[in-house]
Amino acid sequence: MVHPKLPNYLRRYRKRARLSQEELAFLLGGGSGAKVSRYERFKRIPGLETGLACEVVFGVPVRELFAGIFQKVERNTGRRARLLARRLGARQAEPLMAEKLSRLRRFLPS
Amino acid sequence: MKPSPVPEKRVLAVDPTSRGFGFAILEGPEILIDWGVKQTRVRKNRRCLKQVQELIERYEPDIIVLEDCGAKGSRRCLRVRNLIQSFRVLAANRRIPTRCFSRLRVRQVFSEQEAWTKHQIATAIARQLPELKPHLPPFRKPWMSEDERMAIFDAVALALTYYRLANLRRIIPSAQGLPLAIHAA
Repeated sequence: MVHPKLPNYLRRYRKRARLSQEELAFLLGGGSGAKVSRYERFKRIPGLETGLACEVVFGVPVRELFAGIFQKVERNTGRRARLLARRLGARQAEPLMAEKLSRLRRFLPS
Repeated sequence: MKPSPVPEKRVLAVDPTSRGFGFAILEGPEILIDWGVKQTRVRKNRRCLKQVQELIERYEPDIIVLEDCGAKGSRRCLRVRNLIQSFRVLAANRRIPTRCFSRLRVRQVFSEQEAWTKHQIATAIARQLPELKPHLPPFRKPWMSEDERMAIFDAVALALTYYRLANLRRIIPSAQGLPLAIHAA
């Protein structure tokens, strides 16, 4: 069983970096410490730009910083890939379809 | 025999103090997620309970680790004993298992690292989890009262005791109630 991760680990890395919420908010480009607090309490999901800024600040990949969200996205994408593979499986005879299917199977959850 | 790579449980450890409590959330003996001290001066138990409830809701721990204040030699006051009991009830209502360890048990676990006193245990923890180094209180002199940050280290010590004993149990399933010296042998 996959251990469910927390939506994000921003608080952990911020505290390790000894940054205050205000300081992190400044580094992330605008906003106040309250916004960072909301991210840390999982009340709000940061946008792509903020997520990437977090990666730059902490030197940790986004998928690790937002492990729970990544886990959820990975699971949902896998589910959709399985569905698409099933749909395409019916048209296996068509050219390029085999290649497309093998590409899909590569990221299908085992 | 090595333990299988089972994902570690998320542990919330709480250590009540005279003015509030210290807490630590870990996802393994080396993964400290959050830590801190919460203080309150009025209606202490009610506010502490509310704050622990918030922590439980936010982090959804798999297990809550507390001090066994009913153990022989425990010098916890009645208010703290009641508070710990309330934490256990809160956990039970949310179907979260709790584990309680006496101070003696914690000291037994840390004696492997040659740490017996509170300060030695805190230093050993700061060595293992460098993010806690800035919070390490200075050595307490006889005329000093205890630093409030020591509650963080006490909470982490409880959590690490849980992981240590859980790992031992994974290696030797029959080693439930044996003293630690026998586990290590």
